[in-house]
Amino acid sequence: MNDMTDESRKPGDPERREFLGKVTGAVAGAGVAAACWPFVRSMYPAADILEKGTSTIKLGNIAPGEMKTVAWQGKPVFVLHRTDEQAERMMHSEGGNKDPQSDEQRVQKPDWLVVVGLCTHLGCVPVRHSDGWSCPCHGSEFDNSGRVLKGPAPTNLMVPDYRFDDDDAIVIGEV
Amino acid sequence: MKNRLIEWIDERFPLSSFVKDNLTSYPTPRNLNYWWGFGFLAGFILVLQILTGIFLAMHYKADAGLAFESVQYIMREVNYGWLIRFLHSTGASAFFVVIYLHMARTLYYGSYRAPRELMWWSGQLLLLLIMAAAFMGYLLPWGQMSYWGAQVITNLFRATPFIGDQVVIWLRGDFSVGDATLTRFFALHYLVPFLITGFVVIHLIALHTVKSSNPSGFNLADKHNIPFHPYYTVKDLFGMAVFFILFCVVLFFYPYFFIEAENHIPADPMVTPSHIVPEWYFLPFYAILRAIPDFMGGVIAMLLSILVYGAMPYLDRSRFPGGARHRPFFRLMFYIFIIDVVVLGYVGAQPPGDTITVVGQVATFIYFSIFILLPFVSYFEDRWLIKRGLPLELQCLLDAKKCDLL
Amino acid sequence: MKEMIAKVITSIVVATACTVASFTAIAASPSPPLLDFTIDNSTAALQRGAELVQGKCLLCHDLKYVKYRHLADIGFTEAQLTLLRGESGLEDAVLSMMDSDARQEMLGMVPPDLTLITKARRGGERYIYSFLLGFAETAEGTATNRYFPGTRMSDPLGISYVTDEGERQVIYQQAADIVAFLSWAADPHATERKTIGYYVIAYLVLLTVLLYFMKRRIWRRLDDE
Repeated sequence: MNDMTDESRKPGDPERREFLGKVTGAVAGAGVAAACWPFVRSMYPAADILEKGTSTIKLGNIAPGEMKTVAWQGKPVFVLHRTDEQAERMMHSEGGNKDPQSDEQRVQKPDWLVVVGLCTHLGCVPVRHSDGWSCPCHGSEFDNSGRVLKGPAPTNLMVPDYRFDDDDAIVIGEV
Repeated sequence: MKNRLIEWIDERFPLSSFVKDNLTSYPTPRNLNYWWGFGFLAGFILVLQILTGIFLAMHYKADAGLAFESVQYIMREVNYGWLIRFLHSTGASAFFVVIYLHMARTLYYGSYRAPRELMWWSGQLLLLLIMAAAFMGYLLPWGQMSYWGAQVITNLFRATPFIGDQVVIWLRGDFSVGDATLTRFFALHYLVPFLITGFVVIHLIALHTVKSSNPSGFNLADKHNIPFHPYYTVKDLFGMAVFFILFCVVLFFYPYFFIEAENHIPADPMVTPSHIVPEWYFLPFYAILRAIPDFMGGVIAMLLSILVYGAMPYLDRSRFPGGARHRPFFRLMFYIFIIDVVVLGYVGAQPPGDTITVVGQVATFIYFSIFILLPFVSYFEDRWLIKRGLPLELQCLLDAKKCDLL
Repeated sequence: MKEMIAKVITSIVVATACTVASFTAIAASPSPPLLDFTIDNSTAALQRGAELVQGKCLLCHDLKYVKYRHLADIGFTEAQLTLLRGESGLEDAVLSMMDSDARQEMLGMVPPDLTLITKARRGGERYIYSFLLGFAETAEGTATNRYFPGTRMSDPLGISYVTDEGERQVIYQQAADIVAFLSWAADPHATERKTIGYYVIAYLVLLTVLLYFMKRRIWRRLDDE
């Protein structure tokens, strides 16, 4: 770089120009990126939809052995009030081989099972029977802990975040 | 790596040559002033409107019972919905500011003359399409002004000879503006900007065939051209940044300036607002419509007032290019025209009254007179200029030897 | 060229002046001049206004685009909201105590929704403030309003019959708080919008300056030829 004579210090000097160009480009680029943000953000669920992210269900109406299907975030959720016998059996069984989980890992209180009612294969709603659920679409079977016993479903029925609101209600969607 | 990729594409697609011929090395006169930046700006605003429009359409409901509420939903619940909505409403007004300034530049400098007639006419078509898009878009919020503005303007089609009533019903899809009208206006409002994009491409192809005019009016020899990039890319971007500052001042601090108070009230077919006003960019034409007492006459006058611009290449009979630059009478007519359009705009916003009607009629008369007188004025102005003694640039046109002195 | 700029700018100025004049003319023609007041945007004023609106306005009017959840944005706690909303849920709109049919029967009409009222009237906040304080009794003893003579609304704050100066001052304050709240209700994102606006314009000024120097640098190349 021995051409640095007085001449090259004029305005229009390539090095200074390049620096200004880089700074302008960076500032402009930052602005464009920042301008994209509100558009991207606007596609995220609006405030009222986020509010509907939780569903509160009263438990008093569900007798032992009964199941209620409720809506949460547009999906069906099975709230099963297990009888003592059903709970006992689930606690002592290992479920299926595909997705080994103990019953303890899947419930907060042994007499209440809360699982998303969509088959983990392709999303059909399984049908209730006394020992669990059967999916009519491709024959997957789930036990009374929502664990997959056989069929093409790869994993157990999903357990959503939920918490007990005193003893008489649960709030799905919150921890 | 990047160069290899470009080479691969260039073997199959004229990417580099296209970019070089039409953007980077594209020859542009070196004396273009900032008035030449409005075309680029219009293109930018078109992109802005399409972008914000699509994101609004993700939440908007085009149903008479839901539309107004869905706009409130966007304003209150959608993340940054208020920003996208105001970008779109401010952008619509900005679009017309830019287009009118772009047209003013073209008229002033005579850029509509041969060989640029097709540019002027494609531009005219673009103006009509933008007006259609704006008119239909205004119905969508389903406010009182939206509804009644649409009711009044669709009524104008009654002027169609013989089948007028049927045309109006066909246009609305109902006996008066209603849900059917809203749904179809939404569909068409979404479509028209893409038609506009197509015609902008045609407009640009025409431009690249005849190349830009310039403030002197002369076809400067190639030695006076410079490559578009980086000279005009940076100049246009600078102009755009200045414009964007003004735009953002309105957007963030005066967004309600262009929203009529009545439009914050949901449409009510049973109650007409005391004062129906179209958006500001339609006001001069609205004034001309109302200036003629006869219904049919008013509609024809309004149509003519938009279409008359098409005749400009033939109305201007001067041999001297450059528009107002070298021609004092043409310049005077231009300024009178601008003031007249502003007066018409003011008249269009007023409620009907005796004095204001007369003012509107005088202004309408002046408006059309300017176009009608132009052939005569331009012809006699040429003779007057020659008798007075032409400046050197104009002498060059008549006598090629004089050009060497330039 | 300079003349053209001058003329165009003059025209724009004239146009703006005419437009502003025309709007003021329309606003002022039938009514007395609007009262002057400045909006107090503090959360305290907004909360007072919200409570006043609930107590005095919701008898007959709705605010159907405001949900109880939104009131958290002006500083109400969950406990306060529970009191305010009564039977309604957080996701419910702030509606009148009487439903539309009952109001239609009792009042002969459904009074206008108030969510956007400060935007839906020429004169905006000043008009609503003047209106609230513009009630008077006619010679026959019926209610009327200086700014809207044909109104069927009765005086909500008592300005038409309260004579004690101290009490009248309270009414002026109440009107100001109500208008502040209604102004918020019409445009809840106003503060956010203006804050972002300052940052964006500062950024744009910086970018414009940079682009200006870029433009000069690049165009100077032509002088070198």
